[in-house]
Amino acid sequence: MRGVSEIAYRLRKSHIIRYLLPLFTTFLVISILYSRSNIEIGTNDLIQKHRWAHEDEDSFYFTYSKKFKMPAYSYNSKKDSNKNWLFFSSKQEDVIPQSHIAHYDLNKLKSTANAAVDKEQILILTPMQTFHAKYWENLLQLTYPRELIELGFIIPRSKSGDNALKLLEREIKKIQTGKKEQRFHKITVLRQESPSFNELGEKQRHALEVQKERRAKMALARNELLFSTIGPYTSWVLWLDADIVETPPTLLQDMTSHDKPVLAANIYQKFKNPDDNNKIDIRPYDFNNWAESAIALELASKMDNDEIIVEGYSELATYRPLMAHLYDQNGDINAEMHLDGVGGGCTLVKAEVHRDGAMFPNFPFYHLIETEGFAKMAKRLGYEITGLPNYLAYHVEE
Amino acid sequence: MCKSIFKLLSGNPNTQKRTTNSSISLISILGSIFSLLLLVRIILVNTSTRIYTPDFKNTPGVEYYDLQNYKGNKNGWQMGDRIVFCVPLRDAAEHLPRFFRLLNNMTYPHNWIDLTFLVSDSKDDTMGVLLDNLKSLQSNKDKTKIFGNIEIFEKDFGQIIGQSFSDRHGFAAQGPRRKLMARARNWLGSVALKPYHSWVYWRDVDVEVIPDTIMEDLMHHDKDIIVPNVWRPLPEWLGHIQPYDLNSWKESGGGIQLANTLSDDAVIVEGYPEYATWRPHLAYMRDPSGDPEVEMELDGIGGVSILSKARVFRAGSHFPAFSFEKHAETEAFGKLSRRMKYNVVGLPNYVVWHIYEPSSDDLKHMEWLAEEEQKRLEESKIREFYDKIWEIGFEDVRDKWSEDRMQVLKNVDPNKLGRNVFVDWSDTDEDYEQDEENLATESNSKDANNEEAPVFVPEILGEDAKLKADFNPDEV
Repeated sequence: MRGVSEIAYRLRKSHIIRYLLPLFTTFLVISILYSRSNIEIGTNDLIQKHRWAHEDEDSFYFTYSKKFKMPAYSYNSKKDSNKNWLFFSSKQEDVIPQSHIAHYDLNKLKSTANAAVDKEQILILTPMQTFHAKYWENLLQLTYPRELIELGFIIPRSKSGDNALKLLEREIKKIQTGKKEQRFHKITVLRQESPSFNELGEKQRHALEVQKERRAKMALARNELLFSTIGPYTSWVLWLDADIVETPPTLLQDMTSHDKPVLAANIYQKFKNPDDNNKIDIRPYDFNNWAESAIALELASKMDNDEIIVEGYSELATYRPLMAHLYDQNGDINAEMHLDGVGGGCTLVKAEVHRDGAMFPNFPFYHLIETEGFAKMAKRLGYEITGLPNYLAYHVEE
Repeated sequence: MCKSIFKLLSGNPNTQKRTTNSSISLISILGSIFSLLLLVRIILVNTSTRIYTPDFKNTPGVEYYDLQNYKGNKNGWQMGDRIVFCVPLRDAAEHLPRFFRLLNNMTYPHNWIDLTFLVSDSKDDTMGVLLDNLKSLQSNKDKTKIFGNIEIFEKDFGQIIGQSFSDRHGFAAQGPRRKLMARARNWLGSVALKPYHSWVYWRDVDVEVIPDTIMEDLMHHDKDIIVPNVWRPLPEWLGHIQPYDLNSWKESGGGIQLANTLSDDAVIVEGYPEYATWRPHLAYMRDPSGDPEVEMELDGIGGVSILSKARVFRAGSHFPAFSFEKHAETEAFGKLSRRMKYNVVGLPNYVVWHIYEPSSDDLKHMEWLAEEEQKRLEESKIREFYDKIWEIGFEDVRDKWSEDRMQVLKNVDPNKLGRNVFVDWSDTDEDYEQDEENLATESNSKDANNEEAPVFVPEILGEDAKLKADFNPDEV
């Protein structure tokens, strides 16, 4: 009782409560009523008076109701809007080809064993984080006609990328402003948009935990490069890593003559052997070229969807036959072997394989990633993967 | 604050110590903020924006692109984002004029739109019609209405399934058909995409109604991949309208369960009772009077009108021509892009109207409808003929009868009681006698009996009848 009388007393005394309380109550009541009328159909409108949308729009075929307005778009150019005192202009104008009408008959595009004679274009793609002078020298000593070679580079968004780009720019200018018959057909240099593929240091590069992330980024870089540069006249794509420094001069002719959809050379490394008077010796380098094994398949079937299998780790013993170990010094250089996974060191791919959609997955695709995932995808599309165990390309010594 | 600054600036000697302290602290705060901004600017300039750019302007055959510049802005029409239109064509000659009319009405700056076409396995004159239309499109006198680069590709993939076969075995034929279409799309996509494109727009030619601002409407949502809802008009006897594109859906538990039971190469297709997935379809989410800006997350998408950032395709997403997670083509494109961590969104209340192509069942029904109409026409012709014969062969007495009927029935009306019938017998006796005599004298005349029968003249008959009754044939 005392409480009630106190409230009554306060009400009488306090002006704020006296005026605000009734106001607040009415507001509450109104708001409740209003919100109810919005929720339930027919509380504010008779059901007989209900109109279907098409009656209001005078048609069944309207794209959206006139009840709502789409935003009014302004067409004032804001191309230079990122020029302000804080950010300067971060965007550089690239030269974009002007309007043209072009017509290509892709039915005539072929990739055959007789590539050089048939004048088939080869696109050499290289993700480049460091520029090795030997890589460039090796590229220049290839005997395939230069007017049939197109080059593509993708460079990470980083300091080391900047350095590589500067060196590359110098060499490109040298060759492209030189004699006409010495020039390459076309060179495309791209700056990577996705996260840099070389952010991780050299030492931890091969640790299993970082392997997945590193190769996912690498896959993105490869895809960006591939799908920006592959043209309507490209017959072959050669994936040549920036650290491949020695190949036979007839590399392109040799590899195309096999006429295989996907063909990988064996990647070895030359080094000074301390056990043998520092004589130059060779050792296997790229373990991503392999044939599938039952053990690896069983391993994969037990894995989570997001886990990957990579070669060269004792935690993941797959017992796959690795092409790197199958090199025979006295064997036939043209010997072929069937593969299920490939590396990107020096791999020749018919353009149609990529055009059909075979790309480098940046996610575990059947527990495989990047180039190995690419091989799996190509197989899913019905192409076979082949390796040349006795045909060597050399990786730079780190 | 302002007062204290003013006091400080005016150098009032009477300024108290407290005020001075607060003004000094104020200045120091302002100064530190300013220097912080400067520092941020220096850091930003040094880290993010100062990357090396080579200069290949005077080097023939060399191109340099920083892909960061082509990520796609949500107001691309102001930023000069280039869009590449990818349009797969097959036997599309009849649809092309409509397509180009819609294209020409688009409000997105035409100069920044590149067009690419893939013409495959066409039996009609698709290429000729395409070239004609392109010529007239690009010869527009208004320079702002001219489109950017145009590339036409030809590639035949061959048809795995004949049309009649697919009609009979629609379900079984879906998988291989979708895989083949995916190949065609990938061939187009891979050659169409250039480093300087920011957006990719996939569009079917057979669209009937589409807003002119379609690019802006889709783009301003700032999603990696976005599709509108697709419906189609229907004839009246089919109920006017129908959701068309059932390939845009969100994955369901039922769908995942079904996928787990299928073989690695199987392709799930929507709209067949064999594969009941219970997925929520974008098409059925439409509220005709709803907000067109509403978004819906999707897993599989349809290919009628897809706007995607170019970076999605650059990163390797494409239309799988194999069974990817038990799907192929556009639906698998949605799934693959989701797998690659891109967002895939549909607009349930924003509708693009596909044209109506009658299905084989519809055609049958339309044939039946046409037959019925023909029958009706023939019948009416015959009826007309019979009517004419009737008119000529018979006298129409129906009008007269309706009058007479009244007169006749009036007298037998049983409802009128107590009718006063007056008969004037005054001169009949004479007549009777006369008749007796006549009968005796002219016994051979048989007809006379009738003629001379007494005339019954009821009172109630009208004047006319009276006159008739008064008429005595004998007097003639």
